[in-house]
Amino acid sequence: MISRRNYISISIIMGVVLFLCMFINNLKDAWNDYTVNDCVEDASAYPSRAGIFLPAEHAGEDAEAEAAEALTGAAAVTRNRVVCIGGPDGELARLVREWAMYTRRDMDSYPSAEAYREGENNTNPAELLVVDPEQIRWEGEDTGILKACVDQGTHLVFQSLPDPSVIRENEAAGELLGIRSVEQEETTVEGIHLYEGFLLGGEKIYREEEGDETGYQDMELTFPWYRLDSATRVYMRGLPEDEAAKPEDYPPIIWRKSFGSAFSFVINGSYMEGPAGLGLLSAISAELYPYELYPVVNAQNIVLLNYPGVADENRDVMEQYYSRSARQVFQEIVWPGVSTMLQKYPIGSTCMMTPQYDYEDDALPDGKQLLFYLKMFNEQSVETGISISGRWDTPPARKLAEDQAFFEEAAGGYDFASLYAGDMEEEEILAVLQEEALSSVRTVVGDPGREGTELFGFLSEYVTGQNAVWDGLRYSFRGDFTIRCVETAVGYLSLSCDMERVAYPQEDKDLWENLSRYMAGSVDSCKGIIEGFQGTTVSECDIRLRRFLGLDFEDSRTGDTIRLRANETGGPVWFLLRTHQEAVKSVEGGTFTKLEDGAFLIEVTAEEASIELEPAEKRYYY
Amino acid sequence: MPMPIVNTLQILGIMAGYLGVTLLLPWILLRKGLREVPGAAMRFLAYFMAGNFYIMNLVFLLQLLHISNRLTLAAGTLLPLLAPLYRHRKEVMPRLERMFSKVRVLLGRETGKKTLLIRMGRRMKRLSSGETGMWLAAHGPELLLILGVVLLVFYLYGSNAVRVYGYVSSDMVLHNYWINEMSRNNIFADGVYPFGMHCIFYYMHAVFGVPVYVLFRLFGVVQTLMIHLVILASLRTVCRSRYAPYAGIAAYMLTDRFYEYAYYRFYASLPQEFGMLFIFPAACFAIAFLRERNVKGRRARQYLALFAISVSMTLAVHFYGTIVTGLFCVGIAVGYAFRCFRWQYLKRIMLAGVIGLLLAVLPMAAAYAMGTPLQYSLNWGMSIITADSGENDAQDTDGAASEEGQEKSADGQGDGAGQEPAAPKQSLVRRMQGVLHAVLNDIEYYVVHGRPDMARFLLGSIGALLLLGALWMLLRKYEYGAALLSVGVFMAGLSLVQSAITLGIPQVVEVSRHAMYYAYGFAAVWSLCVDAVLFLLFGERRQIDLGALGALAAVCAAVGVTGIRTPVLLSAYETNGAITCLNNILRENKDGDTWTICSANDERWMVYEYGRHYELITFLRDMADMEKGPTITIPTSTVYFFVEKVPVLYLDYINAVRPEKTVSLEGAKKPLSTAGGIYPYIEEERWVTMSHMYYWAQEFKRLYPNEMEVYYESDDFVCYRVRQDGYNLYDFAIDYGYNKAAGQEQEKVR
Repeated sequence: MISRRNYISISIIMGVVLFLCMFINNLKDAWNDYTVNDCVEDASAYPSRAGIFLPAEHAGEDAEAEAAEALTGAAAVTRNRVVCIGGPDGELARLVREWAMYTRRDMDSYPSAEAYREGENNTNPAELLVVDPEQIRWEGEDTGILKACVDQGTHLVFQSLPDPSVIRENEAAGELLGIRSVEQEETTVEGIHLYEGFLLGGEKIYREEEGDETGYQDMELTFPWYRLDSATRVYMRGLPEDEAAKPEDYPPIIWRKSFGSAFSFVINGSYMEGPAGLGLLSAISAELYPYELYPVVNAQNIVLLNYPGVADENRDVMEQYYSRSARQVFQEIVWPGVSTMLQKYPIGSTCMMTPQYDYEDDALPDGKQLLFYLKMFNEQSVETGISISGRWDTPPARKLAEDQAFFEEAAGGYDFASLYAGDMEEEEILAVLQEEALSSVRTVVGDPGREGTELFGFLSEYVTGQNAVWDGLRYSFRGDFTIRCVETAVGYLSLSCDMERVAYPQEDKDLWENLSRYMAGSVDSCKGIIEGFQGTTVSECDIRLRRFLGLDFEDSRTGDTIRLRANETGGPVWFLLRTHQEAVKSVEGGTFTKLEDGAFLIEVTAEEASIELEPAEKRYYY
Repeated sequence: MPMPIVNTLQILGIMAGYLGVTLLLPWILLRKGLREVPGAAMRFLAYFMAGNFYIMNLVFLLQLLHISNRLTLAAGTLLPLLAPLYRHRKEVMPRLERMFSKVRVLLGRETGKKTLLIRMGRRMKRLSSGETGMWLAAHGPELLLILGVVLLVFYLYGSNAVRVYGYVSSDMVLHNYWINEMSRNNIFADGVYPFGMHCIFYYMHAVFGVPVYVLFRLFGVVQTLMIHLVILASLRTVCRSRYAPYAGIAAYMLTDRFYEYAYYRFYASLPQEFGMLFIFPAACFAIAFLRERNVKGRRARQYLALFAISVSMTLAVHFYGTIVTGLFCVGIAVGYAFRCFRWQYLKRIMLAGVIGLLLAVLPMAAAYAMGTPLQYSLNWGMSIITADSGENDAQDTDGAASEEGQEKSADGQGDGAGQEPAAPKQSLVRRMQGVLHAVLNDIEYYVVHGRPDMARFLLGSIGALLLLGALWMLLRKYEYGAALLSVGVFMAGLSLVQSAITLGIPQVVEVSRHAMYYAYGFAAVWSLCVDAVLFLLFGERRQIDLGALGALAAVCAAVGVTGIRTPVLLSAYETNGAITCLNNILRENKDGDTWTICSANDERWMVYEYGRHYELITFLRDMADMEKGPTITIPTSTVYFFVEKVPVLYLDYINAVRPEKTVSLEGAKKPLSTAGGIYPYIEEERWVTMSHMYYWAQEFKRLYPNEMEVYYESDDFVCYRVRQDGYNLYDFAIDYGYNKAAGQEQEKVR
């Protein structure tokens, strides 16, 4: 016989177990509305294009007036000024202008050294002079002009090098570039060694091991081999096939010559191009001073383009490769892999959905599948965006109409905050954004390396554009290098992964087992940096970008304390502090995270913050 | 952690380690075997001698077999402990079982806290029982006096070790190198030399892990303490009064009448002073043997054995000690002439002495036979017997250059009667007066420096001791009188040796170093004088101890009136900053060979086994001619540059002169020395070298502002640190503006 008390207890326990098993999920579904996009909000609450910082041109003019203003205390923020010799409309000038905008510097540009000398007359010396060597007359008096810059404390950055014969024949040029002699006019190395302490992420060797045919190697391996002068420091070298030379004599790629009054930085190759140039300039500026503080976005996201497809498309091919339909592949193979990666790394994810890839076939999207994904994304904090760029020939307007009809039918409508526009021109994007279906969109994701566009910025007054840094399904050493550079410059990472390649594979490389390896490689190779910054979705990143672009700040150091004053941007802003032999002890008005030795991420939550530094090491015995 | 505290803790650690193996272990092993040896003082000497002898010869043996390392040394140390354990193996296991069962009961909480506390309380009660009180009443005053001696040694000598971190003697670096080589089983690295002290140091380094440079910096305090405790124990075996030895030792330690060079070497850890540990015990055991009626008895044999090992160690450590011990033996032979020359005593003590010498010579002879040449100072030692005394005076023993006193050695011929050419025949009395005058002059110069009254007092003390010894012989207290006479004759002999050059007899001990032995002997002379007088006054009565305490008080008062010695802060060969840096560097870099110190010489051997060293003068010379495009790379991830802003005054003898000249542009403009060896680091040349280095560092810091950091800085020293990638080395050769001067000088030499 069982007692009444035991009977009641057992019944209660059974009831609880039944409730937990049967009703929890139902309750969760009842209490959540997965068809509402939480990322959609009014962009006017955040800084708009009108409030962003733009570098002032010719700010260094009238030095006397500036000095007088400074004396009376009437002067506004005194910014460092970077000057570019390479023409105001050239690629280099565009890069320098973008970097100046991100780091809150003033900027000037001149087509030649002669123009620079004339233009800079009666101005304060620039902090940094970025030089396109093709614009320099090495045989003329330009070398003297550049040397005079160094003597008055202006640091030089040579975007690339002139021909070795020029250096061989021009001793003054060699001295300015820190080159003692030309070892070989051209050498081919088997790898590149990036040393620790220059870019974020530490040391990295870009070399494929013998017999390894991953195809990762896409760095520039052929370049002139110079022997450097004394008082130089090398940041990146080539690794020659013949290792007879001593490591310190290996062909240098990025180095610095110190003149005491200023430095001359030299890049032997085409590394100062595209977003990587931003990182190199930031890394260089961090070498100039005991400390360097500049704003960063602090956002890392991976954008799964054209994912998921909820229509059962390309069935024959999918059955051939995976023995599954496209829907099953995305749900049973791709999603678990993506989900695991998102849990492993602090990187946010956004899926730029396209309900169907081919609007001309008979395979229509499945509404239940859409709801499944919306639920999954919601639970894993993945944002759902919409893609209007892909392999299809359907015009964007028709595609949008079809998609909207499908969303209306399957989920009662769905608003998007983010849009993938691929490599569409800016005007096209703006036209598309006028569509009713995209009225809630406030940020547009672009492909990596889009010509003539900044890494991120405003497309219209309230809509931002953010380009991907690299293709996440195409891991390569150059990509790794670019990621490091961009993270160093702006603490931003956006990897785009076009999942349409999975649905419509063109070759064996497009199989998910290969693509997932590339995707993991892209993230894993930069694990060290990624772990320092925060993961965001595209919309979260948008908010941070707005704050970043609208931020203005000034800093000063007294003793061990750096005082930082930033304007109000409606939320926290982040700075990267790079030091030499110093560490952050405490931050008032914010918090800090150590990224690596000499690199700290400072989160500023107040208008004024003070960062107290201390020696990175203390002596135990004294 | 402040360095003075580190130094203090290290001194205590070294003392614990050293006394653990030289006193505690022998006590555990030999206390039963030596139970017939009377008196705690004599047993203390016996344990101490046995411990030192065992460790020394264990190291010799293992080194010559090339199997010396921490494991073999530890096994060799513990091996003697196994013999009694094996003998009592039946008792060991039950005892261990009992011990472990107690621990088990305690850990298993079968015994509660209260029971444990009650048991402990009972034990404490037993300790504080009447028996303990009686023991303390009997020995308490003496324990306090011993503690006083210990504190006095720490005050006088330890304060320097705690506050001055560098080596205070120039030749310590050389000894450091020899010991470093022993880590590679390369004993006698620089030739055959008495390696007794080196064996002990190596043992401490290998077994306890004390860095050799720390031993050289700090062992001197422990060594000096033991030197004073050893003479105290030796005197306690002879004196009739319990406290008379303290009077003599207090006078010796406290008076400021002695010339500073008569005790400066106590501040350093050097073989000669280490050898002083064994002189008085050797004499003590010889006297103890001669006092034995039964020469074949167990105790007599033990005394002979202890005498033999003491003699052996004097030679194993430094042959000056053997010479002085030999002189002491002569004194004993005179004092105990009535017994010493009896065949049954003579043959035994002679045999013991010879065996002792052979024991010391054996390792050296074995090495010599295996092809290791004699170290040059040994060559000198052996040649001195045949050499003209006039040639010897400029010589030095172990690499140390002449001290101030040597100046007189070189030209002080005019004082002595024996040196006057073609002197007319004089009467014996006149000649004796001449000798006395010469001895007085030399004592005045070398031992008390310009205090003629004190010199006369010292000689008078020896005379008084001889008279008291004779008196006690007359009073038929032969043993006691003989001991007094032995010390008296020994000290008289030392007086003559002190004046060897003047008297024209072979100078077997360098005069200024001899002053150390001589002054030290007065601790015994004065103690014995006081004791002899008190014994006359009080005889065997107990009041003699009270009289001795009174005498001690009187001595202290007299010293107080005439002048009390204060601790000296010597001038070191490395700045405090350099040693502080070195400590930090060793602590921060646990991986060997990942760092380099670029400094002036001395750190080279200090960092052996831990890191790498780059000679500063080589560094500067390598970039002398920048037109040739030199490259200087140092293949370690961290490089430290030691720069003295106030260069050390490298005077080559122990001194307390403070350097004042700071590095300057004037020095940097002068060409670097082109001389070899350590000459670029001596006096003016060091200033030039450091000035160059300072301006190099300034320029390098200007060119590499973020890469070169100030690691440590004080008023007189600065250490820079450069960290680099092992595959991306910096070229340290830069044009610092003054390279040319050095280059031009080098061209001249070529």
